[in-house]
Amino acid sequence: MGIAASAAGPEALAWIVRMMPYGWISTAILLLPFTVALATPLIGRGNRRRTTWLMTGTAGVCLVLATLLFPAIADGEVLRQTFAWAPGLGLEFTLRVDGLTWLFLILVSGIGLLVGIYATYYMPPEYPLVRFFSLLLGFMGAMLGIVLSGNVIQLVFFWELTSLFSFLLIGYWHHGKSARDAARTALIVTVTGGLCLLAGVLVLAHITGSYDVDAILAAGGRIRASPLYLPALVLILLGAFTKSAQVPFHFWLPQAMSAPTPVSAYLHSATMVKAGVFLLLRFWPVLAGTEPWFWIVGGVGLATMLVGAWAATFQHDMKAILAYSTISHLGLITMLAGLGSTLGVVAAIFHTVNHATFKASMFMAVGAVDHETGTRDLRRLGGLRHVMPITATLAVIAGAAMAGVPLLNGFLSKEMFFAVALGANHGLVLDTLTVLVAVAAAALGVTYSLRLVGGAFFGPLRHDYPREPHEPPRWMRFPIGILALACLAVGIFPAWVVGPLLRAAALSVLGPQLPPYNLALWHGLTMPMLMSVIAFVAGCVLYVLGRRRIAARDDAPLIGWTSALHGFERVLAFLTTTLPDLQQRVFPSRKLQVQLLLVVLLAGVFGFLAVQPPPAPVAMHGMHVDPAFALLWLLGIACAIGAATQAKFQRMAALILTAGTGLVVCITFVWLSAPDLAVTQLVVESITTVLLLLGLRWLPKRIRELAPLSPVARYHRVRDAVVAIGIGVGLASLAYAVMNHLVADSASRFYLEQALPGGGGRNVVNVILVDFRAMDTLGEITVLSVVALTVFALLWRFRPAAESIGAPRARGSTPGQAEPHTDRDPRAWADQLAIPGFLILLIAPVIALFALHLFLRGHDLPGGGFVAGISVTMTLIVLYMAAGARWVEARLKVAPARWIGAGLLLAIASGLAAVVLGDPFLTAYHGHWTLPVLGDVPYNSALLFDFGVFAVVSGASALMLVVLAHQSLRRVVPAPDAVRDAGEAES
Amino acid sequence: MNGALAIAPILIPLAAAAVQVLLGIRFRRFRTGLSFLSCLALVAVAALLMMSASRGEGATLVYSLGNWPARFAIVLVVDRLSALMLLLTAVLALAVLPYALGRWQRMGPHFQPLVQVLLVGYNGAFLTGDLFNLFVFFEVLLAASYGLALHGSGARRVGASLHYIAINLTASMLFLVGVGLIFGVTGTVNMAVLAHLIPDLTGTPRALMQAGAALLGLAFLIKAAVWPVGFWLPRTYSAAIPPVAALFAAMTKLGIYVILRLSLLLFGADAGPESAHFGSDWLLWLGIITLVVGSIGMLGARELGKLAAYSVLVSSGTLLGAVALHNPAVTAGALAYLVISVLGIAAFFLLTGLVVPREAPEGAAQLEPYDPAIDALFAAEDERRVASPAPVVILAVCFFACGLLLAGLPPLSGFLAKFALLAPMLDHGAGATALFALIITAGLCTVIAMARAGIQIFWADADWQFPHVEARETVSVVGLLGICLVLTFAVAAPWNYLAATARQIHAPAHYIHAVMGPAAETPP
Repeated sequence: MGIAASAAGPEALAWIVRMMPYGWISTAILLLPFTVALATPLIGRGNRRRTTWLMTGTAGVCLVLATLLFPAIADGEVLRQTFAWAPGLGLEFTLRVDGLTWLFLILVSGIGLLVGIYATYYMPPEYPLVRFFSLLLGFMGAMLGIVLSGNVIQLVFFWELTSLFSFLLIGYWHHGKSARDAARTALIVTVTGGLCLLAGVLVLAHITGSYDVDAILAAGGRIRASPLYLPALVLILLGAFTKSAQVPFHFWLPQAMSAPTPVSAYLHSATMVKAGVFLLLRFWPVLAGTEPWFWIVGGVGLATMLVGAWAATFQHDMKAILAYSTISHLGLITMLAGLGSTLGVVAAIFHTVNHATFKASMFMAVGAVDHETGTRDLRRLGGLRHVMPITATLAVIAGAAMAGVPLLNGFLSKEMFFAVALGANHGLVLDTLTVLVAVAAAALGVTYSLRLVGGAFFGPLRHDYPREPHEPPRWMRFPIGILALACLAVGIFPAWVVGPLLRAAALSVLGPQLPPYNLALWHGLTMPMLMSVIAFVAGCVLYVLGRRRIAARDDAPLIGWTSALHGFERVLAFLTTTLPDLQQRVFPSRKLQVQLLLVVLLAGVFGFLAVQPPPAPVAMHGMHVDPAFALLWLLGIACAIGAATQAKFQRMAALILTAGTGLVVCITFVWLSAPDLAVTQLVVESITTVLLLLGLRWLPKRIRELAPLSPVARYHRVRDAVVAIGIGVGLASLAYAVMNHLVADSASRFYLEQALPGGGGRNVVNVILVDFRAMDTLGEITVLSVVALTVFALLWRFRPAAESIGAPRARGSTPGQAEPHTDRDPRAWADQLAIPGFLILLIAPVIALFALHLFLRGHDLPGGGFVAGISVTMTLIVLYMAAGARWVEARLKVAPARWIGAGLLLAIASGLAAVVLGDPFLTAYHGHWTLPVLGDVPYNSALLFDFGVFAVVSGASALMLVVLAHQSLRRVVPAPDAVRDAGEAES
Repeated sequence: MNGALAIAPILIPLAAAAVQVLLGIRFRRFRTGLSFLSCLALVAVAALLMMSASRGEGATLVYSLGNWPARFAIVLVVDRLSALMLLLTAVLALAVLPYALGRWQRMGPHFQPLVQVLLVGYNGAFLTGDLFNLFVFFEVLLAASYGLALHGSGARRVGASLHYIAINLTASMLFLVGVGLIFGVTGTVNMAVLAHLIPDLTGTPRALMQAGAALLGLAFLIKAAVWPVGFWLPRTYSAAIPPVAALFAAMTKLGIYVILRLSLLLFGADAGPESAHFGSDWLLWLGIITLVVGSIGMLGARELGKLAAYSVLVSSGTLLGAVALHNPAVTAGALAYLVISVLGIAAFFLLTGLVVPREAPEGAAQLEPYDPAIDALFAAEDERRVASPAPVVILAVCFFACGLLLAGLPPLSGFLAKFALLAPMLDHGAGATALFALIITAGLCTVIAMARAGIQIFWADADWQFPHVEARETVSVVGLLGICLVLTFAVAAPWNYLAATARQIHAPAHYIHAVMGPAAETPP
């Protein structure tokens, strides 16, 4: 058997084989569909004929190219073409052709060609063919990619692509809900499998150390001996089973019948669902032959075969019958691969080809019926042979092949299957079970084939079809005819037609283990023959006796529980609703308190766990505390606690208490001889308080009284108190411990020593700010600028709460807040404040002068750009408060944003000056000039930088002030709600 | 001159922002041009720095600001990792900019300077070799992000942003406490010097240093939105306008970057028996939980913005877990994943603004601004360009591509990145195996969530009202996805760079030596 066609003489053939650029042929086969798929929307748009040619032409060229490859692999050789992909990752892009690959290449491109022709006539003219064929070509490329992959990662790559194209094709008619649901189900199931496959091949590659298929195939012994064998096996099988619709993942396939029929014929019977089978066969040499393999693959195959056949028998939709039949046949092939015998592999390959031919033609025939009559429901069909005789003939041939009638290809592979089942040797019970299930499934196959063909084409002709049926167009029948012819040819002359191909494919899987087998029509009166006869008779009897009862039923009996679709939907609902809702309840993303509590708790846990080894307690002896200082701090603490408790009820009081705490901190700085910090703290404290006071006006109404505490609230309070005290104690002890372990050789010492000689200033703090760590200062003034801009952005179109829009009750103490309405006379209140206002106006220039003083002395004495900047703003605040925004802005151009921009630019420029001089950014220069009159004048370039700081700080704080001040000058735009609210407030 | 290049990524956007603020509302075109110029310059500078950083192992560039000794001054350090992050951020900003220039920037004042300052924050944090300076740049970044998160105002944005601000101020406080502890017991905030000192630290100082490091770590974990301190993220990101959320896509990665940098520098294999791999178990498990939480959040997301935001959590968890494994090969894969996930998530955020109908104008009481000049701002910016309805097909293809990228499915580069991350993860114990399995599961959850959203948006509602999409918005999305597409095929050179980056940061001696010079040889 298996003589390669050698009419031209062996030498000529050998020459041809040598000279063919095989590597490039396989590359072209892979690239062509993708390229055309991308080009189709551009070229084929609006032109059906051209689009059809693109599809069929591409498939045809791929078919021819694939045929050319045969001589090179006919005797078990492997063709490889490698491209660099990601060498650093150990990935090469390898195209690998052997017998098995070749067989699939022919299947994919050949059936692709036929489906392309068929679809042109099948698809309704109102649907654009461009998108359809583009996706179909993309799928074809991905499928060719799977079988051509010489690298497992590459295989997964194309594997997932087929899932994606399948998703898009099932959802092609996405206006229907069933198509959308089917697409989603198919995507989720197949992608799950694909991800399992990815994990599986990663484990496999981890065992073998290579992603290369040939390297993995060579390491079978090592793989099976590895402790990781079982995980790898299970993961890879999950990939195969989901793709090949094996129980319990089979539910997506019947649902996927919502796709256009060409898609069902091509993806969901002939090619994509065979990818799982391909995978099983591809890794058969390394994974098969073990106990787990036998039990899992054989068991799943057996169950799938039976469940599929049984369910198919009870369907009424013709496509559903075909879908379940496909499941059943895929189960058969899986079981053949699972039994572990070499003849099983041969039979599996053989049946893969046969199933593809008869099932694709059957699908197309059903599609023709659907196309002509407008229905696929067997209960509404009958007698079509009278109006569609040719289609009926072709359907009979395909159906007979499906049923396993002699003279057709289905018969041969079924015989081989029976032989394998009989040859199994796994104990009496198992063997008997296998044989029984095989016969039962075959009998059911006969029954549903009879129902399908008999129900649609035979019986009396009906006249209530949605459309008037007649023969479909010639070119729609053509692909069915070709495939039916193939069924016949293979069935009658198996050795001539498929002998060499089958041998090449089986050889590539089995190598020297290739068993003897006989591809003949007639083997004599053997056991398999007897089983065939029994199955055939049983099937016919079941059809004749049971067809009325089957027609009366809505679904298949006994196996409702195997339909995992319901379970799948429940899992999906759990994942997308129940689980997220639970998470949202436990960790609410809307509640700030919970989140802050988690942060603080985690800080406590982290801090506690990280202190390893725990420091020995340091005795507090020798530490004398001045009672006055202690009292001061008790006062500060009391203020802080008071502020916290009053914040919700008495905002003004809380603010004043906060200021009290700030003052205590300030005094502490003085006490500890840090005048610079004290000054800074003082001005920051003042301006913060003022700005907050200005902002208070716009807060919503305060809560007057407290509702009685619920137990939950009480618990929350206790919990928060405990956490707060714990964190406070923890931080205090950390601080205490650190102060007992300060290192002597610190950067601080360097700063103290170098401030005058290196930085030219006696105020170390200022030298750090503008010289040693000037970059930090540059960053911080940027922060300040941005915060000011943000406050501005937040407030410039600020919409206050409805209740605070109305006029405030007379609260003369804070004039800046009053008068949101411009139509009132500002002088009315100004008169009341005339004297304080006048006094304030007198003070203003003094403060400004003081600011200048602070700035200039900054490098040597407490002061500097920051403090000076805030002091300038204080001047401004005083002016605004005394005279009102309109008065000030009429006399003084206040453009704080520009001060910010200019200040930042000045700071950058002063730093860049050093770069121009060849030193790093922000290098400061200082020294003394000896001038004629003034004598020795010190200079320091850091002063320029400090001036930038000054400008930014004054600009930023002034911007915030101005935007707050302007709140009170706004006109209210009457919006429906606001008008009502404001009206109520006025009255 | 080469040295000065190191400061350019900070100064260019800062100067641009300063000029934009200075100009106020005048010269709109000039200000826009300035933003573009700044982003282009940043891409160029980052590319140059990348080239200089990849010139062999000793090519780490150290720049002492103020010309003080490295130990006391603030140093900027450009190595492969910082150059990579600089380039990534610059490309991201450049790609997002066109998108934002239309209707989005008109929603409030000062959009462009805020974006530039955000870049200052990013770049400074990537460059600095000083813990306190890192704090400062975090603050710069955060300050700008507050402004950007609030951009456009509205109750939802203000509510979410104020939470965001509160959480991040707490984080900053922790950061400060941590730096204070470390400075107290070591006397330095220079990262390289710290790395040099830590192996010899013993007793209580070491315990306190670790406490400081743990608090610092927590601050970074908050930034990286890790469970259980990351629940601020979904709300903030989904409330922010899409271009802002896209720019924020790199922000969680900044947290991851700092953890990666510091955990390897301070607590790497060379850090002595007591400090090596400090906290990495915690990081691994927190990463794993974050991954799970993010996946569940994605599955349950009822709106597209939330979906995108939870995908940020997924990528954060993935990266944190991977970083915690302290394995050069995994780190290289994690870097690949980081790059792709920043680009993919940014593209997705941008897309969320295009496939969801425009927000209805809010009808609450409005106050007109007092300043007439501000009114002029709106009038000037409001000259509407003619918007064209982008074909739904383009949006659908982009959505599909985003789904593939986020889920790590072929043919886009997300697949390779995930492969690079997963492949070396298999023999590192139970935690790594759990991470391996969960990363794959998270991919599945992403598929489910994205398929659900995509089917609803593009398939179910035939009469879905897509807003009129401006061409430049599509350009941004397509640009980001295009980069990812290119990275599927041009793998070799980028991968070599990433692998070398991982090797470099796993051997911190180079870094320490580059900063400290000969002093690194002597024991402290």
